[in-house]
Amino acid sequence: MDYYLMQLVNGLSQGAIYALMAIGYATIVGVVGMVTFTHGEVIMIGAYAAFYAFSFFAENLFLGIITSFAASWLLGIVIYKVCYERFFDSPRHIPLICTIGFSMLIKNLAQIVFGPNMKAMPQPIDLGFINVLGVRINTIQILIIVIVISLSTILYIVNSKTRWGIQLRAVSQDKKASALMGINVQRTTMIGNCIGCGLGGVAGMLLAIYYQSILPTMGGVLGLKSFISSVLGGLTNIPAAALGGILIGVTENLGTAFLSNSYRDVFAFVFLVLVLIIKPEGISKKVGGRP
Amino acid sequence: MISNTFENVKKIYKKHAKIINIVLIILLLIIPRLMPNSYLMGIVCRILMYATLAGSLNIINGYSGQFNIGHAGFFLIGAYTEAILATTYGWSFWPAMIIAGIVTSIVGFLVSLPTLRLRGIYLAIVTLGFSEIIRIIALNWTDVTGGPMGIKGIPSPELFGFRISGPVDYYYIFLIVGILFLFITNRILKSRVGRSWISIREDELAAKSLGVEANRAKSANFMYGAFWAGIVGATYAPYYKFIASDMFTLDEGFNILAMVIIGGQGTLIGPFVGASIATLISEVFRFASQYRMVIYAILIIVMMWWRPQGLVGAYDSILAGDDKSLKKRKKSITQKVGDN
Repeated sequence: MDYYLMQLVNGLSQGAIYALMAIGYATIVGVVGMVTFTHGEVIMIGAYAAFYAFSFFAENLFLGIITSFAASWLLGIVIYKVCYERFFDSPRHIPLICTIGFSMLIKNLAQIVFGPNMKAMPQPIDLGFINVLGVRINTIQILIIVIVISLSTILYIVNSKTRWGIQLRAVSQDKKASALMGINVQRTTMIGNCIGCGLGGVAGMLLAIYYQSILPTMGGVLGLKSFISSVLGGLTNIPAAALGGILIGVTENLGTAFLSNSYRDVFAFVFLVLVLIIKPEGISKKVGGRP
Repeated sequence: MISNTFENVKKIYKKHAKIINIVLIILLLIIPRLMPNSYLMGIVCRILMYATLAGSLNIINGYSGQFNIGHAGFFLIGAYTEAILATTYGWSFWPAMIIAGIVTSIVGFLVSLPTLRLRGIYLAIVTLGFSEIIRIIALNWTDVTGGPMGIKGIPSPELFGFRISGPVDYYYIFLIVGILFLFITNRILKSRVGRSWISIREDELAAKSLGVEANRAKSANFMYGAFWAGIVGATYAPYYKFIASDMFTLDEGFNILAMVIIGGQGTLIGPFVGASIATLISEVFRFASQYRMVIYAILIIVMMWWRPQGLVGAYDSILAGDDKSLKKRKKSITQKVGDN
């Protein structure tokens, strides 16, 4: 029994990371209105940025968060310029293929620049264990959950209280009307894309710390999982996407506890098919974007 | 400029279609006798194989406007079905090839089922996930698929007592499969079924309101594309005599997708052009194979920026998405229908 409780805790902390990725994804799809395939590569770049910050400067957690956020933000600007800016009036498959091409580009350039092999991620905090009712929880898991909750809170405050957030929500609801209200739609869309990318980058750093390793091809499956998580919220609803991420993390870890570890990535896919069969529009009413 | 040249070539071809076809087929038949060099013939074989494979993806992506990016999964199923039937059960190549095609098309039907009610992007993710999952299963189901060791010693096909192996002879099998594919697909595209696919691509709502059963047509389209992917997979396995799950990664799927996009979606000749370019690029950059995918990726982005319909794609389709082509499209429609 304790074993399954431990797997549940593992699932919750891993699910928290997936939730952060999915929050970023839902933000992007909501604001930009187009589906992206680059999110996995954004996550990978965030992880590598933190890796180099840790190994060249200091193994400081806040430095890592800021570097990965900034690196993914910059990548978000490039993605916006290459994949979205020209294509708002085109058929939707064109920007989609463009993001596929861009993700191939980043993945293969990363293999050339960073080297194709797996590297060990430096650990910014000491590994320790806390016993709660016989369940061992390690400090990294607590750290992950704390960071994810605080980042989501910051995002919530930005979204609901600041001028930027109001602009973002306006643009995600109706681009034409917000342009008529004097909002710079292009710039706001870019900022929304960059916020989503930045959150993805931080999630990448957390995942690299959690697994203690880093790999240029880690992005592919992660991008898929962040998409699958946000399917639960109709691709644009942020809280539902976070819930989806946590559910996928728990499903994966309990699934590997009952079955074999080599089928880990299959569970997320089964989850997707189940959601698509039972509730294809997600648990939210409003379906925004044009995926 | 490209469009003018292309239109001229098309005109000349239409004028002398029969003669050109016969000359082309004779030329294709004697190529191995002209250059019995197995390295060069190996390249030609790869071009032919990938042309048919990209063509089968093009049926799904280009003709019905669905979005499949995990084509490597279907390729894998075809290859593994043939290999298992041939090695474990001792089947001969020809029936095994047909069975491989049928199995793959059934799997294609199952994959298309959960997404019929939904918009295209969900199908894209389901196919992407499917491709990765089927690879994981092939890697881990050791009893049947050999696991990480793959399947070795797949026997070469036999025809009238002759054993066909080596690129110079095997070329004919790829050629026959390719020509059969082009011929049958051409007939289907001109039939009621094919026209319903194209109408769904251009405007699904309009097609539905004119009585096209969109769901059935989309499923049939997916099954047909998957069938040919299975056939190509089945011809691929005995050619290399060895298959393993790492030959069918997501990158392979993107590779096939890149060929279709570079060549031109929604044309029969496009995948062939794309496959030739991609194979030649990978041969020229053999010394720096890791730059190959970078070049593909840049080509895809460049294509999307300036020619979204591909090198030989049609101007008057929804695949060519910018304003200029939209205007042209409207113009061509008004020319056809008359001003209103």
